[in-house]
Amino acid sequence: MRGKHSLFYHILIFIIAQLVWLLLLGIWIYWYVSNYIVFEKVGDQVSPQLIYDVQNALPFILGLILLIGLSFTTSLIFRHLNVQLRLTELYDNFIGNVTHELKSPLSSIQLYLETLKQRDVPLEKRKEFIDMMMKDADRLQDLINSILEISAQEKKKLFQDYRVVQADLIVKDLLKESFEKFRVAKENYRISGEAPCEIVADRDAMKIVFDNLVDNAVKYSVQQVQIIVSLSCISKKVTIIFSDLGIGVAAKEQKKIFNKFYRIYNKEIPNVKGTGLGLYRVKEIIKAHDGKITVLSEGEGKGTTFKLELPAYGAMSERQLKKFLNNEKLRGV
Amino acid sequence: MAEDYKGSRVLLVEDEETLAVGLEYNLIEEGYIVIWAKNGREAIDFFAKEKFDLIILDIMLPYVNGFEVAEIVRKADPQIPILMLTAKTESGDKVKGLEKGADDYLTKPFHLQELLLRVNGMLKRKSWYKSSSEKQPVFKFGDNEINFETLNCLHGEEEIRLTPQEAMLLKYLVERNGEIVSRKELLENVWHLNPDIETRTVDIFIARLRKYFEPDPANPVYFKSIRGAGYMFEEK
Repeated sequence: MRGKHSLFYHILIFIIAQLVWLLLLGIWIYWYVSNYIVFEKVGDQVSPQLIYDVQNALPFILGLILLIGLSFTTSLIFRHLNVQLRLTELYDNFIGNVTHELKSPLSSIQLYLETLKQRDVPLEKRKEFIDMMMKDADRLQDLINSILEISAQEKKKLFQDYRVVQADLIVKDLLKESFEKFRVAKENYRISGEAPCEIVADRDAMKIVFDNLVDNAVKYSVQQVQIIVSLSCISKKVTIIFSDLGIGVAAKEQKKIFNKFYRIYNKEIPNVKGTGLGLYRVKEIIKAHDGKITVLSEGEGKGTTFKLELPAYGAMSERQLKKFLNNEKLRGV
Repeated sequence: MAEDYKGSRVLLVEDEETLAVGLEYNLIEEGYIVIWAKNGREAIDFFAKEKFDLIILDIMLPYVNGFEVAEIVRKADPQIPILMLTAKTESGDKVKGLEKGADDYLTKPFHLQELLLRVNGMLKRKSWYKSSSEKQPVFKFGDNEINFETLNCLHGEEEIRLTPQEAMLLKYLVERNGEIVSRKELLENVWHLNPDIETRTVDIFIARLRKYFEPDPANPVYFKSIRGAGYMFEEK
C-alpha cells in the first residue's frame, strides 16, 4: 500500500515538474520574442557594429538547451527514483518474509526448551522434541546460509568444488535426497530416462538447485504434489525436465520468477512462505555451471516445467575446461 | 493451573509442524483436548463439524489466512475466544486481527507460560460471560434491548450487533449497575491487560457503547464519566 502511494506521489511530482518546465519554456520563448525588437534597438544605440543575428540567437539557443537539459534530468531522476522505489518495496517484502521465516523456527525451539525446563517430559518425548529442535536449527541454518551465500555467489566466490561426475548418478541421488527432505512420497514422483554421460558439477550447489525445485513444487501445489523428472543426454548436453502439476506460472511472470526477491502470488494459495531467493540462486548456480534454465508453463493452474541444460564434460570447450579445471579438485568419479 | 477448564476443546490452527507438535503437547498436559488444523481450510472444516471452547490461530496459513478464518468463525459464533498467534509484528496486523474478531494477540516467539496464562484467562472470561449471560440473557434499559447470548441488540427500531469485547464490557458494567468502575479495573478484568499501560482502549469502547445506546451520545445518561474515578453505568 505504502509503495503504491509513494509511486502515485512521485508520478504526480513528475507531471507537475514537466508542466512547470513547459510553462517556463513558454514564458522563455514569449519573453524572448516580445523583447527581440527592444534588444535590437538597444543594441543599435550601444554598438551599431554588432552583428545581431548570431549574438542574439545565442542566449535563445542556450536557454532552450538549458530547459531541455532540465527536463531530461527530471526524467532521469524520476526513472532512478522509480527503480529505487521498486527495489525498496522488494527489499521490504524480503525483510518481512525473512523475519517470518526466522521467527517460526525460533519460536518452536524456544517452546521446546521451555517445555523441557518446566515439565517432566518422558524420555521418548524428549527425543522427539530434540529431533524437532534439530530440524528447526537446520531450517535456520539453511535460511541464514542462503542469505549469506547470495553475495558470495554473486562475486563468484562460491561453489568452486567442481568435479566430473556421472550425470545420471548425481541427479538421481540429489533428487531422492530432496524428495526425502520435503517429504514427497514415492508414489508422488517419477524419474524417467537416462543421462549416461559425465558433467562437471559442484554437488552442494546442485543440491541447492534440486532442493529449491522440489520445495517450490510442494509449496505451490494445491492438491497432492505430483512431480515428474526426465533425464536425457543428447547433442552433447544433459537435459533435465522437472515438471509439477502445481499452480503454474502466468506468462507475464515467467521471466520475472528468476529475479532476486521476486515472488508470485496466487489467490488459490495465498501465504506461501519463502524469501524470493530460491529460483534466483538456482539460475545463478546453473549459470555458473555454464548451463541454462528455462521455465515453461501453459499458465495459471496448469503446472510448471523447468528445463535445465548442462554441458556434457566430453563436449566442453577449452575455455570451459580451463574454467573448471582451474581448481585441482577436478577429477573423475 | 487449568484445573477448572480441563476438558476444554481447543482448535489449534498452525501450519508449522514443529511448533504445532510442541503446542499440542503443552495444551494436552494442561488438560485440554486439542484438535490440530494444518491450514485455514482444515480449520474451517473442523469448526463447522465440531464444537470448540477456544481457537489458537496463526495468521500466515496456506489456502485461507488467519484473518479470513477469524471472520468466518466470528460470523458463526460471536462468543468463541480467538487467540491469534503470529510472527507478524506490525501494529496494523494486530489491529486487523482484532477487527476481524480475535480477542487476543501473541507475537512469535512467545513464552510458554504467557501463552498458557492467556489461554486460561480467555477460557475464564468465556466461562464467566456464559454463566452470567445464562442467568440474564436479555437485558433492557431505556429503549435498548441487549441479548448477551446472540450479541444482537435493539436501540429503538435499530438493530446492532455487538462484538464480543463490547458485550463483555457492557456485561461487566451492567452487573455493577450504579457502581463506579475505574479504567484500571476494566483493563484488568475485561481486557486482561496490564493497567499501567497508557491506553485509550476503555474510552474508545465506552464511546462506542454511548453511540449505540445513548439517546444523545454527547450527553450520556446511562454510561456516565466520573471525573478522576472512571465510569458508571446507571439504569434510569
